[in-house]
Amino acid sequence: MITFEGAAKIYPDGTVAVAHLDLTVETGKTTVFVGPSGSGKTTSLRMINRMVEPTDGTVRIDGADIRGRNPAQLRRAIGYVIQQAGLFPHRTVLDNIATVPLLLGWRRRRARARAAELMELVGLEPAQAKRYPHQLSGGQQQRVGVARALAADPPILLMDEPFSAVDPVVRTSLQDELIRLQQELHKTVVFVTHDIDEAVRLGDRIAVFRPGGELAQYDSPERLLAEPVDAFVESFIGYDRGVRRLSFFPARGLSLREDVVFDDEDRVERARSVVAGDGEPWALVVDSARIPQGWVSAAQLDRAPAGVPLGSLELAPYGHTFDVGTDSLRAALDAAVLSPAGRAVGVDDEGRVVGVVSQDDLGAAIWSVSE
Amino acid sequence: MDILNELVAWFSDPAQWTGPAGIPARMGEHVYYSLTGLLISAVIAVPIGLFTGHTGMGGFLTASLANFARALPTIGVLFLIVLAAGIGLAPVIAALVALAVPPILVNTHEGVRGVEPRLKDAALGMGMRGGEVLFKLELPVATPLILIGMRTAAVQVVATATIAAYVGVGGLGRYIVDGQARQDLTMMLGGSVLVVALAVVTTLLFAGLRRLLVAPGLRAEAAAAR
Ligand SMILES: Nc1ncnc2c1ncn2[C@@H]1O[C@H](COP(=O)(O)OP(=O)(O)OP(=O)(O)O)[C@@H](O)[C@H]1O
Ligand SMILES: [Mg+2]
Repeated sequence: MITFEGAAKIYPDGTVAVAHLDLTVETGKTTVFVGPSGSGKTTSLRMINRMVEPTDGTVRIDGADIRGRNPAQLRRAIGYVIQQAGLFPHRTVLDNIATVPLLLGWRRRRARARAAELMELVGLEPAQAKRYPHQLSGGQQQRVGVARALAADPPILLMDEPFSAVDPVVRTSLQDELIRLQQELHKTVVFVTHDIDEAVRLGDRIAVFRPGGELAQYDSPERLLAEPVDAFVESFIGYDRGVRRLSFFPARGLSLREDVVFDDEDRVERARSVVAGDGEPWALVVDSARIPQGWVSAAQLDRAPAGVPLGSLELAPYGHTFDVGTDSLRAALDAAVLSPAGRAVGVDDEGRVVGVVSQDDLGAAIWSVSE
Repeated sequence: MDILNELVAWFSDPAQWTGPAGIPARMGEHVYYSLTGLLISAVIAVPIGLFTGHTGMGGFLTASLANFARALPTIGVLFLIVLAAGIGLAPVIAALVALAVPPILVNTHEGVRGVEPRLKDAALGMGMRGGEVLFKLELPVATPLILIGMRTAAVQVVATATIAAYVGVGGLGRYIVDGQARQDLTMMLGGSVLVVALAVVTTLLFAGLRRLLVAPGLRAEAAAAR
């Protein structure tokens, strides 16, 4: 547990980086500091490993004032990951990762063996051990940075915008990797970002900072999106917070229609009778393995000659699907919005169609959670 | 053409290659003066440069001192020291040191100071102490620049060690000074050729040192940045 008690940092030039911070970071959870540029996130983070000394207040780790700890020793027990990794250019990947164990006096062989383990843990190929940092991509460098921070198995991990310098695709995969690692390791992670989406994805708890170094709100992601405390937080988390909040509700509860799903061998008239009787404007065509093929409209069915198999009609693309077991309402909504039929296709974990969600049913589900 | 033939004759005269005034002996003296001057300079300049670069203290002083020293005419320094300390090897070495310290000092200082702040931040954040930051990060990263400073110093020292002859000491300068006194152009040329050859060898030596002392990661990085 990390506790800020009235912690403040005022620089000699009068800049108030952190005004007065009271905050408890829970052990084994991921806490995200988020806020606009200059709001004191980095300063607060660096108070934890004494890279910044507060000008007022106290920071405690498990109840003990960190001023009682030697800074170098304290830092060796806290993993530290920075933007663009900050790898040593003169050291190989393996030796970069082994840095803290070596500082702690481990034998080289043991430190390197540990480093090799860490490479595997963060998803680096063993062949990259002998490379130098400049030979790696930004994403790979960041993985090495995470491995380096974890090498001595510290209980606390501080990460300052670690993924901000890589492209969105790589960033998503690094975030996934961190989520997976955290499920395995249960570190006390403090993560700084100014990307609210990243905060919502990674955080068990989110601390929103406002300019002037004040804590605006400290809450779970769900509550933050549902109940921003004031106009600043509301505008910071963005106009689409309602949609974003849907990611906390599973799509599992949606009622799926199976009767408008047809095999591509089925005849036109069969679909026509179901669709017409129901006033439903679209039918989904699947192949024999129930893999979606595309949408066919009621108007198309009316025009098509009888006896033709559905698979031979010109089908509208089905867009993307959502997984009924694991995806959220947000994914279902997104699938519906991007579908030409305005309906979302729900699939199982092997991509087989389970059913489709009509706009009415999706709307009802969204309304019910928004209450 | 004549002068070339004479030069070849001068070099191929067996008498030239033996005795205390022979090429091997003169070359030995020259290398000895140069090496002594360079080593003393490095022992003075590298630690000071590391200190000022690491702490950020005295950066301005270092640069001004180095600029001042660079503006000094070496031969003037030599005569000044000889006037003060008398004839001998010591004033020669002192003049060479005055010449070699500035480039080594400036490059060491700049090399250390130029280490990216985020690398120092990472080093401190991982729990390195001042000395560990210096020796595990700043020195290795600054090594390429320090070596360039030493190479510049070494080439200058090799060229300048010829002045030893003016104050009655040996070295390849003897050929030039004595040649001048005897109006022996071939001898002067021969001496010059030897000095130039030694300077070239020195440069090559530093290329080798770079391979030996600079981490492959840094060498390739510099190549990529070029
Ligand atoms: N050494 C310093 N001297 C004076 N002011 C400083 C110093 N370091 C930071 N500040 C100021 O303190 C404030 C908070 O800085 P901090 O780095 O904590 O912000 P941040 O929330 O991390 O911002 P960003 O998202 O841009 O990284 C800023 O106004 C910054 O200019
Ligand atoms: Mg910051």
